[in-house]
Amino acid sequence: MEYYRDRVVRFLVICSIVWAVLGMTVGVYVAAELLWPTIDFGQQWLSFGRLRTLHTNGIIFGFGVSALMGTAFYSVQRTSHVTLFAPRLAWFTAVAWQITVLAGGISLLAGWNAAKEYAELEWPFDILITIAWVSFAIVFFGTITRRKIKQIYVSNWFYGGLIIVIAMLHIVNSLAIPVTLSKSYSLFSGAPDAVVQWWYGHNAVGFLLTGGFLGMMYYFLPKHANRPIWSYRLSIVAFWAFTYSYIWAGPHHLHYSSIPEWVQSLAVAMSLILLAPSWATMINGIMTVSGASQKLRTDPALKFIVLSLAFYGLATFEGPMMAIKSVNVVSHYTDWTIGHVHSGALGWNAMITFGTFYFLVPRLVGAELYSVRLANIHFWLALAGTMLYILAMWGAGISQGLLWLGLDEIGELSFSFKDIMASMPPYYALRFVAGLIFLSGTILMAYNLIMTTKGRKTLQVRPPEATT
Amino acid sequence: MKTVISDWLLFRLLFQPNAVFEELSEIRPEPHSVFFKYVIWLAMAPPLFAYIGASNFGWRIGAATPLHIPSESLVIVSIVYFFALLVGFVSTAVVAKSIAATYGARHSLGIHFALVTIIAAPLAVGSSIHLYPDVFINVLVLIPTLIWSMYLLYKGLPVVLKISPERGMLMASALIGVLLVALVSLLGLSVALWGRGIGPSLGV
Amino acid sequence: MKAVDLHKKLEENTGLLIFGILFVSSIGGLVQVLPSIFQESLSTPSENTRPYGALELVGRDIYIREACSVCHSQQVRPILAEVKRYGPYSRAGESVYDRPFLWGSKRTGPDLHRVGGKYSDIWHRLHLIDPRSVVNNSIMPAYPWLAERPANADDDIQLKMLVLRKLGHPYTDAEIEAAPIALEGLMEIDALIAYLQVLGASAPPGDKP
Repeated sequence: MEYYRDRVVRFLVICSIVWAVLGMTVGVYVAAELLWPTIDFGQQWLSFGRLRTLHTNGIIFGFGVSALMGTAFYSVQRTSHVTLFAPRLAWFTAVAWQITVLAGGISLLAGWNAAKEYAELEWPFDILITIAWVSFAIVFFGTITRRKIKQIYVSNWFYGGLIIVIAMLHIVNSLAIPVTLSKSYSLFSGAPDAVVQWWYGHNAVGFLLTGGFLGMMYYFLPKHANRPIWSYRLSIVAFWAFTYSYIWAGPHHLHYSSIPEWVQSLAVAMSLILLAPSWATMINGIMTVSGASQKLRTDPALKFIVLSLAFYGLATFEGPMMAIKSVNVVSHYTDWTIGHVHSGALGWNAMITFGTFYFLVPRLVGAELYSVRLANIHFWLALAGTMLYILAMWGAGISQGLLWLGLDEIGELSFSFKDIMASMPPYYALRFVAGLIFLSGTILMAYNLIMTTKGRKTLQVRPPEATT
Repeated sequence: MKTVISDWLLFRLLFQPNAVFEELSEIRPEPHSVFFKYVIWLAMAPPLFAYIGASNFGWRIGAATPLHIPSESLVIVSIVYFFALLVGFVSTAVVAKSIAATYGARHSLGIHFALVTIIAAPLAVGSSIHLYPDVFINVLVLIPTLIWSMYLLYKGLPVVLKISPERGMLMASALIGVLLVALVSLLGLSVALWGRGIGPSLGV
Repeated sequence: MKAVDLHKKLEENTGLLIFGILFVSSIGGLVQVLPSIFQESLSTPSENTRPYGALELVGRDIYIREACSVCHSQQVRPILAEVKRYGPYSRAGESVYDRPFLWGSKRTGPDLHRVGGKYSDIWHRLHLIDPRSVVNNSIMPAYPWLAERPANADDDIQLKMLVLRKLGHPYTDAEIEAAPIALEGLMEIDALIAYLQVLGASAPPGDKP
């Protein structure tokens, strides 16, 4: 008799939490470097450029993807009523991924850099990523193919979209000719390269950070709230509209650049259209959880999920808004973009993952959460850190944008770049504090979940008997 | 149900918020009376302070010299600010009323007007910092002001709308989402207007 | 067949679902990305654009290694204030030899696309080794190690140029032959400065201020 393969889930969740703490610590460190630039102590591997790259990669690929893989493996089994297809391959996926992120991270510190955002890892790691990703796909889709339930549940469409689209984006954007082990030259150059990169970059956000985590939401939220998804029909329409429209929005990262105008305009239109399916999914989530109020008192994790949906709404509104050229002309290149990224990363991705982990981990070991009080404190820290971060970056970004463009009465530039930079430290200080607050909450969670699982084996759960 | 809001409600909100919430839970105010007795005046405060501060000192955005804003623009910006706040207020109240049924909350438009007025009151008070038009100082003051508003929202909503604290938390969180969107829209709208020449002179 | 019924079919068949997702998600890329890759004007070098010389190429790869793009952009927008501040706005034809493109997405520091010739080599040297020695409130990190490592330390310049030639950069045999000589006796900082000093040379003629 088979049990669900949950030990690999536990492993991935632990890895995700480790990367969260590491990645956020590096984030706080680089925030500090923007205030006190000499704290790299003249060391290459502590230099801002390298650490910032480590931060983004560690968070997206370490924290984010590990969480997605773990929750995908957990939920695909339970929505299919079968155990994982090729469980050894699942372990290979999980371990190979961690090795890739770890070794990749070290390579970034060593200066191996492909200079494409969120695709900085050089070609050997691109190959490792592909291998791990293909095995992820085999396990995931193999499990779905073996399912005992006729319909493929909605969360699996989103996880499936994550796997397929990221594969497509990664392969094309990584196309390069290697020169040495640590260096390659991209197949594309200049303006075409820019279009390819931001087709990748935007949709990494779209299908990994948005779509994948929506998969997480669609499975864990109904389980958590003990209620079915509010509207099945809405989820269908939203999924396909989302999958179709997100892809087009990439060039909004290139407004006023030397790529063709028509590509920029299309991106504006589609970015606005994208708002509809994004919010439709959010509404589905909010309406589902709205009936679960009585659980809130005893279940801090649900608070995370609820607020994550609010921030999801903010981020998915702000994105299209910033894609409008008249807003973009002020916001591009500024800290407003950074604020936008983090309203999504902290407010949506991190919070929904935290909520999911608080729900999932106790169930993995068949125990109660070690401390509900600590989880509540974590919630307020996460909320405070996120809001402070956003406000600081809105302030910094809009200031920069305006000052860079400011003209005096006779139409000459009012401010030198140097003077504008001199006004940023107060905002950067606020952001540093925000990061510290957020990190401290994450550390509380790590402690809480360690204590919850300490000395406990992963629970052995059988899939339900076949009904036909 | 009574419809009349007692005097000095907003003033008493400062010192006895819970009493104010209780009182509101028992009355059913008329939307237009809330609007003309309170909302219009609250909405006038930020643009007025901003105008006075900007015309006397100019908006300092960190760098030593203030940003240049032609005086005709200042008036237009202040007027647009006023109407934007009114639009924000009414739309938040309407959204709150429309989602009330989901949470089993009271759904008279007037009570939602009153609720949003309560949440907005600290912001009107905090906007006095516009008299000192330095962006960072304004952001700094905005933070505790927002915390105060959010506190009133989470504490007051369940009492005023007569639902359990847990359902109140869910509804309040949904409204937070709406308010965040409203805030960022205000930012985006401002930026877009400035780019069109209504505001500081920008070389776009 | 109604759309919802079509979905129901996909929802019950793994293969169809995979295909459906792939199909729907590739449309945007096909419409936006493919034309950009094959559009002549985006791949034709502009009048003043030439491939990077050996020393400049080493410098560019150092720029990439140190992740300078994270704080510095290289794309001046066709906006009045920007052209006043930096110089002529950037054209597509100027980046045809940029693998990858380094337009950047953030300006913690100023845009560098027109920085060539604006500061002396000495200024750049001082600035890279300790930014605060020439810009007192700078938050840029210091790069002292650039002055300590030879430009030819990796000994791969000829290999690099050969690969680039494969990708279409018109290097002659003579240029590739002579490349190591161009690096002799120079440090990484010299290479990076050489790269920075050509940024902007590709600006359209007659556009220069």
